[in-house]
Amino acid sequence: MIDKLKRFNWLMFVAMLALVALGTAAIYSAGNARTEELFHSMWKANLSTAVFGLAIYFVLAFFDYRRYLNLLAAPSYLFSLVLLVAVLIVGTSTYGGRRWLWFFQPSEVAKLCVIAALAWIYGSADERPWLRKFYGFLVALAVIGVPALLILLEPDLGTMLALLPATLVMLFVARVWRRGILTAACIAAIVVSAVLAAVYEAERPGVTEARKATILKFVPLRPHQVKRVKIFLFPDEDPHAAGYTLRQAMISIGSGGFSGKGFRKGETNHLKYLPQSISMNDFIFCVYAEEAGFVGSVVLLALFGTLLVPCVWTAYVAADGRGRLVSIGVSTLVFAHVFINIAMSIGLVPITGLPLPFISAGRTFLVTVMAGLGIVQSVSIHRRENDR
Amino acid sequence: MRSEASIASDLSVLAVGVIFVAGLVALGFRLAQVQLVDAAKHSYDGARQAIRAVQTAGPRGRILARDGTVLADNRASVSIAVNPEGFQRRSWNDTVLAISNAVDAVAATIDIPSSLTTNAIARHVRQQLARPLIVWRDVGDEPIARFAERAAEFPGFTCIETEERVYPEGRLAAHVIGFVGRRETESAGSEKFNFRDKEMCGREGLEAFYDSYLRGSSGELQVTVDARGFAVEKTVLVEARRGPDLRLSLDVAMQRAVERQLRGERGACAVIDPRNGAVLALASAPAYDLNLLVPQLTPEINDRLFRNPRNDYRNRACFETYAPGSTFKPVTALAGLAAGVPPEVSYECTGVFELGGMKLHCARRWGHGPIDMKHAIKESCNTYFSNLGCDIGTNALFSAARAMGLGAKTGIDFPQDSAGVVPSEEYKRSHYDLPWYASDLAHASIGQGQLLVTPLQMARLAGAIGTGFLTRPRLRADSPVERTPLPFSAKNLAVIREGMRMVVDGGTGRLAGDGVAVAVAGKTGTAEVGLGATRRKNTWFIAYAPAEKPTVAIAMVIENGESGGTTTAPKVNAVLKAIFGERETGNGNR
Repeated sequence: MIDKLKRFNWLMFVAMLALVALGTAAIYSAGNARTEELFHSMWKANLSTAVFGLAIYFVLAFFDYRRYLNLLAAPSYLFSLVLLVAVLIVGTSTYGGRRWLWFFQPSEVAKLCVIAALAWIYGSADERPWLRKFYGFLVALAVIGVPALLILLEPDLGTMLALLPATLVMLFVARVWRRGILTAACIAAIVVSAVLAAVYEAERPGVTEARKATILKFVPLRPHQVKRVKIFLFPDEDPHAAGYTLRQAMISIGSGGFSGKGFRKGETNHLKYLPQSISMNDFIFCVYAEEAGFVGSVVLLALFGTLLVPCVWTAYVAADGRGRLVSIGVSTLVFAHVFINIAMSIGLVPITGLPLPFISAGRTFLVTVMAGLGIVQSVSIHRRENDR
Repeated sequence: MRSEASIASDLSVLAVGVIFVAGLVALGFRLAQVQLVDAAKHSYDGARQAIRAVQTAGPRGRILARDGTVLADNRASVSIAVNPEGFQRRSWNDTVLAISNAVDAVAATIDIPSSLTTNAIARHVRQQLARPLIVWRDVGDEPIARFAERAAEFPGFTCIETEERVYPEGRLAAHVIGFVGRRETESAGSEKFNFRDKEMCGREGLEAFYDSYLRGSSGELQVTVDARGFAVEKTVLVEARRGPDLRLSLDVAMQRAVERQLRGERGACAVIDPRNGAVLALASAPAYDLNLLVPQLTPEINDRLFRNPRNDYRNRACFETYAPGSTFKPVTALAGLAAGVPPEVSYECTGVFELGGMKLHCARRWGHGPIDMKHAIKESCNTYFSNLGCDIGTNALFSAARAMGLGAKTGIDFPQDSAGVVPSEEYKRSHYDLPWYASDLAHASIGQGQLLVTPLQMARLAGAIGTGFLTRPRLRADSPVERTPLPFSAKNLAVIREGMRMVVDGGTGRLAGDGVAVAVAGKTGTAEVGLGATRRKNTWFIAYAPAEKPTVAIAMVIENGESGGTTTAPKVNAVLKAIFGERETGNGNR
């Protein structure tokens, strides 16, 4: 045990704790701005969830990941599929999506389960070369595809947008049918560009309704998604209706300036200009950046860097393929969330519903991410003996 | 043992790490753009949506008489207002309903019904959500006490201290001082302000004329509003400053003396200092208590005071116009002298002046016999002046009238300043569709017919005869003095002055000079208006005193009097006694 403690990676642990602290403060500020009393104590709930998450973190960190991945990866994956089906049948609807099962969101848990399953399967690719061929890719497609389909049925596009890069990077690192994956990535890039161009062409001012309808018929997006892409492309067109959220996000982040307005002093949040339904979740970065300013934003990005770089290093020095894959999968998942969330808040990508790890007030997601980082810590503790 | 394959895999892991770091750095650059480069723009957008600027009103300046007597002042007043932010509901309708119900509850407690309709509340919520809505303005001490006792039960309601106008002298110079109202709209027309206080603004009289002077400088209040528009925080940026006091030339003692004489009558009186135009007293009767119009003119008060045949509201001193009657005769005399008629020339008065089919009777039915100018003024002989007027002609007569300031605004610093009428051929044709007859000239010569003047004009005219120059009447003490010399020779003016001395010294106006400590010169007038049953007399007296070196000029008109000499001259006498004191030996003015 002493030996394990010696090999414990303190850097990523401390970065994680610091992020939890910043998140709790941001949730305190965002929650207290809300009219409903219920949310005023949300920061306490976040703290107790973090304590629970820490317990899981330590359990997963100090047990050898090789043992419990072998033992649990497959059952937990199957169990998550059951939960995803269950949520579609008996789940609670909020904001037009069926995402809640009792007190948690199965799609968040499923992300980790998919990563664990992929790591468990492809970590042994060295012994089973066929996994690196086209058929191996088909297996991956099935492992990812089934939960992906179930998540899209909820629907929860944001979760998919974070899970896909994570799985793609894992397959790439595992050298599974690389030619195909690179081709697929290129095709995806072309499709995304084409969709953006089509929406731009359709929503450009001065385009007739008939032409707009014709173009949009070929765009594989729902009307509200087309709207979001449109806001992304033309942010200043309609500041009071569709573009309102992005406009308020930009005002709150931008007006934070260099040093911010101070804790609990963000006007855009406290005067409720930032829509209340999203200020604690998908747009909490606005609350944080308004009060902490550019200095705070850089500190936050640095903390995420301090967390992610040791995670990637852990993947590099992992004792086996499974450890490497699970580490790179979890880090990519976290990175995708961080990047997409902040990028959408500052108008770099279209708005999608997806939380900022540790900062947003999502309890299931917090536990999921801490559990994932616990596994990475375990990989770090049980890394190759000949390294350092 | 590590294979080639696993090394390649390791390198790809490091590539992923590089991508992560690059991504985070890219976000940092974009954040620098948003939070450093564009920070000012975003801050401005944020402030614009969250901040409402309110123009606040400072206390209004006072109006003082020449001796410092306060004629218009402010008093602290308490209003009960409701803050809409205390009644936030999910829908705007529920908010309006909640405010309405709360207002009803408070109304029951303080026992004053609210005049606010649900529509008015809804309008306020729509347009001025960030501002308190005043429900009861200027509430008395007792209801305030009742409200304060149970204020805890009514969150969202506050007492607002404002100022209301108060007129310590009540009716004194009511028509001159005028009154204030409240600005109709609260939305400011300027770029800088979103709202404006419902401040006092002058509606009539000096309150209206000197409105911007009295108002002082406005303050600036900054209200922070939330996304729905409810007020969250208020900061005073600029304190509103009290307006300066307005000091008048009005003499309270003279004003009182004048109003005492007008009591119970319908009429008016103007007293000016002929040396500089200072208005010493300006009164119209009947008058009304200005405090009835505070905090604002209500329909009931409007009906009671103004919409009756008496018409208390009408300013008879400088808005209403009257036929001057015989007080015009000095003007006819001046015109005659200017036209070269010597004052010694006599006309034969038989008691009636005949021109074509028209007969014009003289006051003395059996006639004055042969009479010269001074005596014609003294006795107010109609025959003399009709003859004189017809001899010198329309142009000579009316240019003299204009030279004496008739038919034109006096230029007084007051919103009501009637020009009156000096008729002409064109005037008669356009207003009455009749040609100009010789009889019109005969009538005009004795101050009848189409000729119309205000008492203020006549006071100024009387003073001009006494001093030789016409002054612009002025109410504000430090308003500049403007004097125009009369185009008449000193010799000619001396004739008129002597005639007017003789009026008081045993003439038609002898009652005016009785017992006054100084010598008085004046002229009576009895103007007949209407025909048949509606026929009545407006009786005039104009005067200046002391006769040798006048410091006071006065004109008074009493509607429905008996004659200028018997009705108005004694009233003017009383005023002059109040101004100059009484002569100790009661041997009259001989």
